[in-house]
Amino acid sequence: MKSRFVVTPNLCTGCRTCELACSFAHAIDGKLGKSRITVLNGGMKDLWIPVVCLQCDDPACVKSCLVDALRRNPETGAVELNQEKCVKCMACVAACPFGCSLFDEQHDMVVKCDLCGGDPVCAHFCPSEALSLKPITENQPHRQQMPTSAPSTVK
Amino acid sequence: MVHLIINGKVAQAEEGEMLLTVIRRQGIEIPALCHHEAVEPFGACRLCTVEITKEEWNGWKNHVTSCLYPVESNLIVNTHSPTVIELRKTLIDLLLARCPNSLKIRQLAEEYGITKTSYEEIPDADNCILCGLCTRICDQMGFDAISTVDRGHGKRVAPPFDEAPPDCVGCLACALNCPTNVIEFTDEGNYRTIWKKQFELITCAKCGKKTITKEFAEVLSESRNIPMSYFEICDECHRKELAQAMGGICSWSREAVS
Repeated sequence: MKSRFVVTPNLCTGCRTCELACSFAHAIDGKLGKSRITVLNGGMKDLWIPVVCLQCDDPACVKSCLVDALRRNPETGAVELNQEKCVKCMACVAACPFGCSLFDEQHDMVVKCDLCGGDPVCAHFCPSEALSLKPITENQPHRQQMPTSAPSTVK
Repeated sequence: MVHLIINGKVAQAEEGEMLLTVIRRQGIEIPALCHHEAVEPFGACRLCTVEITKEEWNGWKNHVTSCLYPVESNLIVNTHSPTVIELRKTLIDLLLARCPNSLKIRQLAEEYGITKTSYEEIPDADNCILCGLCTRICDQMGFDAISTVDRGHGKRVAPPFDEAPPDCVGCLACALNCPTNVIEFTDEGNYRTIWKKQFELITCAKCGKKTITKEFAEVLSESRNIPMSYFEICDECHRKELAQAMGGICSWSREAVS
């Protein structure tokens, strides 16, 4: 069954368990990896936003890669970085308008969220379901539309 | 699908794949200094040499560079046979004479039990093994700013006429992927210097962190149709901006609830 990785910032408690889970899941030779997900404050008290790659429809990182190291995995829908092909030119890190292509200094490599191959570890560890995997039912839009302005009537 | 035997174990490979890729996929470590998946195989360092044979060859064996050898069905590969080890040792011995100061070459030599080269060391060694990985990556990225010049003893990697290369954008791909780390560059203040050319680094408008060079951003913006405004701030500030924007949207729904 196909699922979708859903981020619901209003449910996030800012506990950063997702960051820990991500770091551990991407550890190499016992050294923790850089977390692909970051929990940042949303400009209000107790409002936390888990910032993670949005797997854009027209990704700037893929466009910026001059050696074709970034490709979309048709099975998971995630944009994946082929570490073998990456030449560390930092073009994708600079080009991503959401800053979700990162440079892992400890392992000296560029990293980005690949949805853990279709089963994101962070979603399993999130205690408040701010990060979740939801099954895709038919007639559902590809992406949920974000509101572009504040609701006119505040109850 | 092609079936072949590597070190006694059956391995599967796609038609047209190179032997080195298949060997590495099996988890077998063999040294290869000039190899990078982003570029076409070149076979400069010869360290990935392996022994191949087939049943119908009646005991005849061949030694090939695995990075350049396409897989064949029923191929029997030995990556660490005594002759292969001997060949590799000789190559490392020669490399050690050429690059006595390179850490990577010295580590490799140590792995193969060589502490000192049996050849005469080059007096003013520059540590370049002339594998051409830098020039090939530069070419692959579409810049082609550097190339090998001269022949024989005088062969070296250099920009045209040894002057600041006009096509270089300062992406550092050549320097960061050099197997012996010989390409010099400096990042000081707002400027990056490589191949005697100075580049201005983009400074994050919010936190002041240095990102890529202006020239590189301009090339990406033009050729790949990425708005120049994407390069104005660093990745960390981009994330903060996204959090602020999403925070704004979330706060509306909070107000609606309350």
